[in-house]
Amino acid sequence: MRRDPAGNVGRAKEMDETVAEFFRRTILKIPITEMMAVLKAWDFLSENHLQTVNFRQRKESLVQDLVLLCEEKRASLNDAALLDIIYTQFHRHQKVWDVFQMSRRPGEDIDLFDMEQFKSSFKKILQRALKNVTVSFRDTEENAVWIRIAWGTQYRKPNQYKPVYVVYYSQTPYAFVASSLLKSNLPLLGQALTVASKHHQIVKMDLRSRYLDSLKAIVFKQYNQTFETHNSTTPLQERSLGLDINMDSRIIHENRVEKERIQRVTQEIFGDYPQPRLEFAQYKLETKFKSDLNGGILAEREEPLRCLVKFSSPHLLEALKSLAPAGIADAPLSPLLTCIPNKGMNYFKIRDK
Amino acid sequence: MPGQLHRQAPGNLDMELANAQSQDGESKGGVLAHLERLEIQLSKSHKKLEEPQREQAVESALGTKIHKLRLLRDKLSAEVKQRQARVKVSAANVEPDQTLEISEQEILERKQENVKAILQAYRFTGISGKLTSRGVCVCISTAFEGNLLDSYFVDLVIQKPLRIHHHSIPVFIPLEEIAAKYLQTNIQHFLFILCEYLNAYSGRKYQADRLQSDFAACLAGPLQRNSLCNLLSFTYKVEPKDQSFPFCARLLYKDLTTALPTDVTVTYRGTDASATTWEEQRAAHEHMFFTKPLHQVFTSFARKGEKLDMSLVS
Repeated sequence: MRRDPAGNVGRAKEMDETVAEFFRRTILKIPITEMMAVLKAWDFLSENHLQTVNFRQRKESLVQDLVLLCEEKRASLNDAALLDIIYTQFHRHQKVWDVFQMSRRPGEDIDLFDMEQFKSSFKKILQRALKNVTVSFRDTEENAVWIRIAWGTQYRKPNQYKPVYVVYYSQTPYAFVASSLLKSNLPLLGQALTVASKHHQIVKMDLRSRYLDSLKAIVFKQYNQTFETHNSTTPLQERSLGLDINMDSRIIHENRVEKERIQRVTQEIFGDYPQPRLEFAQYKLETKFKSDLNGGILAEREEPLRCLVKFSSPHLLEALKSLAPAGIADAPLSPLLTCIPNKGMNYFKIRDK
Repeated sequence: MPGQLHRQAPGNLDMELANAQSQDGESKGGVLAHLERLEIQLSKSHKKLEEPQREQAVESALGTKIHKLRLLRDKLSAEVKQRQARVKVSAANVEPDQTLEISEQEILERKQENVKAILQAYRFTGISGKLTSRGVCVCISTAFEGNLLDSYFVDLVIQKPLRIHHHSIPVFIPLEEIAAKYLQTNIQHFLFILCEYLNAYSGRKYQADRLQSDFAACLAGPLQRNSLCNLLSFTYKVEPKDQSFPFCARLLYKDLTTALPTDVTVTYRGTDASATTWEEQRAAHEHMFFTKPLHQVFTSFARKGEKLDMSLVS
């Protein structure tokens, strides 16, 4: 039995232990600096309620007070799930997001997407298949919805600490899923998404990153938004990619022509816009070894060589863009590197043709 | 002392002779040398006597030169003045030609500004474009009922086959489908269809935004909408004074090239017993949603309300 500050032992029992613990752990995750912002976005505790809490005390005590306040206000599991969604929205980079693409049969009717119908259909499909599942929704701007799913099994209650998040923009064929998904649950999730959004097929794309907004920019093709118009007063300026040729008159550039060619080629391929942010590109090679030398151990093997090449960077595409101007690589770069945003892929399998 | 030549004041020959004589017994060189010296001294003193004369001569020569130069100077300045006068006269004659040149330049500049302004104003026609290094960048400017709304761009690469380099068309507009049908065969039709879709979308979005912002007081809860704004669902009231929200409306826009709904369902969910008046209103509302833009329907609700007020007052 727990006692709340007012000493009312009986009322505190109304909230399930597991739910209270879930609240405690969720609120504990929130950094103090963000606490007010997150709680306000949650909108479950009003201004008046929040004023009764001392936000300057030690975090553990603050969390305890907040949990007790939630218990007083009869917060439900769904309220806790909503708080978890908001925390994840603030910290979306902590998850790794996959992208799924859905498709319709050609000649289908116009998509009259009804958000409420989608949500209810999605939830029903999951609940029919799995008795133990918690599904929560939060609408966001741009007609999108964040879905949180806590999976259980036939006999076990849903595990609230390993939820799956899905972000879906209405009337688009793409869904963004934060992994931590058991492979066994993937088909069910796919089915729920396609049926609820009135598509027929779903396929996992070879695209993955922590940066949800960059993934969105890549698949929605929103990353290059500079256009030439008669209304623009400033002409398209030539940007120097990290190397200002005219910096010091005492320096003479012997290969000026080549440097300018490199800048021009780089600008044609990468454009003037900020690149979407990815952390890696991975190439799985299954090709026969090609060598100029005759003989050698690896040459003339029947079986293809299997190896994995992975490029990592805090900002991969900007790094690739700066390779040729820095003199580290030839321009133009290999199309395998430059096709990443266009093709919407950062996982490649390369086989001999 | 023997052989030593003292410095002496000029013209003091006697003393020198006396000195020379005192050095008796010296070689001839001594006397000749002395004579030489005396000669030199003499010529020096002559020279010194001549100097003032020479100086005077130089002086007078310089004076003449100065005089000549002054004359030359006066002559030249007179000439300069003459020329200036002539130039002024000719400038007065030439001036109209020069102003003509200036105004020609101005005319050309004005023409250029004019053409630039016309090119910029082309966006008001709905479709405009600018040639790029690889093709053309087409700008589709949408509008609804005289209100200029968002502009969308399609950057085309003129190659065989024609392709889209990049664009700002929202992802839920079926650009790939339209391009697959028309881009290669009939680019005018491609642009026309795209224009229809975008203008209709812009118009629907505008109506939904206006309803949400201007008539929020008449709605119970947020307006339900989707990306294409082709399904709108809301609960509303007509009288701002009403406590309850008696009507539910569901608008479907099945034709993505129009900004007015194709299906309208209005339901009355009030508890009022007198069904007939509500049924009349309900049917009237349905008709209005079919024929008028969404926010204008609500504007006319407000006006009717005002009329009612007026009738009550009178």
